Amino acid sequence: MARTGSALFLLFQIAALCGLFWLCNQIVALTHLPIPASVIGLAILALLLLLRIVPEKAVVAASSWLLGDLLLFFIPPVVSVIKNWVMLREDGGVLVTTLIVGTALVLTGTAWVVDRVFTLEKHLHKRHLRGQADV
Amino acid sequence: MSDTLLAALSLAATLGFYYLTKTAYKHRKNILLAPLLAAPLGIIALILVLHIPLEDYYLYTHFLVMMLGPATIAFAVPIYQERRVILRYPLTLTIGVGTGLILGLFSSWLLVRIFPMPEALASGMLVRSVSMPFAMEAVTAFGGVPDITAMLVIMTGITGMALSEPIFKFAGIRTSLAKGIALGAASHGAGTAKARELGREEGVIASLTMIFTGVAMVLCAPLFSQLLN
Repeated sequence: MARTGSALFLLFQIAALCGLFWLCNQIVALTHLPIPASVIGLAILALLLLLRIVPEKAVVAASSWLLGDLLLFFIPPVVSVIKNWVMLREDGGVLVTTLIVGTALVLTGTAWVVDRVFTLEKHLHKRHLRGQADV
Repeated sequence: MSDTLLAALSLAATLGFYYLTKTAYKHRKNILLAPLLAAPLGIIALILVLHIPLEDYYLYTHFLVMMLGPATIAFAVPIYQERRVILRYPLTLTIGVGTGLILGLFSSWLLVRIFPMPEALASGMLVRSVSMPFAMEAVTAFGGVPDITAMLVIMTGITGMALSEPIFKFAGIRTSLAKGIALGAASHGAGTAKARELGREEGVIASLTMIFTGVAMVLCAPLFSQLLN
C-alpha cells in the first residue's frame, strides 16, 4: 500500500516537472527569449525552493529518479552512431586525439587555476573570521 | 512485423538493456558493462539482426529523449540542497566554472583548426564538455547535429574519467575543490561519478560545477557562435 502510494507520488511529481517544462516552452514561444525552456524551468524551480513556496519533499523523488536515470535518456541518440558510422571510421583517429588532448587541457588548466583561487578564498575566509573575532 | 510493433519492441529493448546493464554494472564495475556502452551496443545488435528501420526505433524512444527537459529542471534540487557549499566558495566556483567553460570551448576550437574534421563533428566538439541536456540545447546555436554531439559528449565523459587521476598526480593537485571542479567542468556526469569515488565533497562540488557550466554554456552559446565564426 505504502509502495503504491509512493510510486503514485513519484509519478505525480514527474508529471508536475513535465508540466513546468511545458509551461516554460509556452513562455519561450510567446516571448521569443533566447534562453531554452529547460534552463528557465531550472531557474524557476530553484527560486520556488529557495523562497520556500515549494517544499523540497514535493520534488525530491522525481529529481532523484530523473537525475539518477539520466543515462537512460541518452541511449537513443547514442544508438544513432550507426547512422554516422562511415564518418566515424574515417575520422576516428583525429576524433580520439582531439578528445584526449582537449579533455587533458581542461582538466589540468581548471584544476590548476582552482587550486590557486581556493587558497586565496580560504585565506580571505580566515581573515574574515579573525576580523569578526576582533569585534 | 508492423511499424508500431517494432517501435514498441525498440522501447522495451531500450528500457530492458538499460536496467539490465545498470544492475550488472553495480555488481561488477567492469567498463564493458557500463550502461552507456553495453546498452547501446546491445540495441544496435538487435537493430541490425532484426533489420529494424531507424524511424521505427525512434518512434517511441524519442519520448525518452524528451525527458531531458524535465531532467534539466530537476537539477534545481541539488542546487537547493547544496546551497551552503555555493555560499561558502562563491569565488572559487565562479572562477572554476568560467575557466572550465572557456578552456573547453577554446581548446576544442583550436584543435579543430589543427586537425580538420567534418563540420558536424567540429561543432559538436565545442560543447562536448558539458552535461548532455545542456549540450544538446547549446549545439543548436553552433549549427551542430544532436546525435553526433551526444556521442562526443559521452566519449569526453569517459576520457575525463580515465585521465583525471594521472593528471591530478602529475600536476600536483591536492585540494578536493580543485579536483571536483575540474572533473565537473571537463567531463560532466562521468566526471561527477569519478569525483564521488574520490570523496563526498569532491562529488558535490563536481555536480554543482557540472550544472553551472552547462547553464553557462547554454546561455553563452549564441554569443560564442558569433565570436568563433
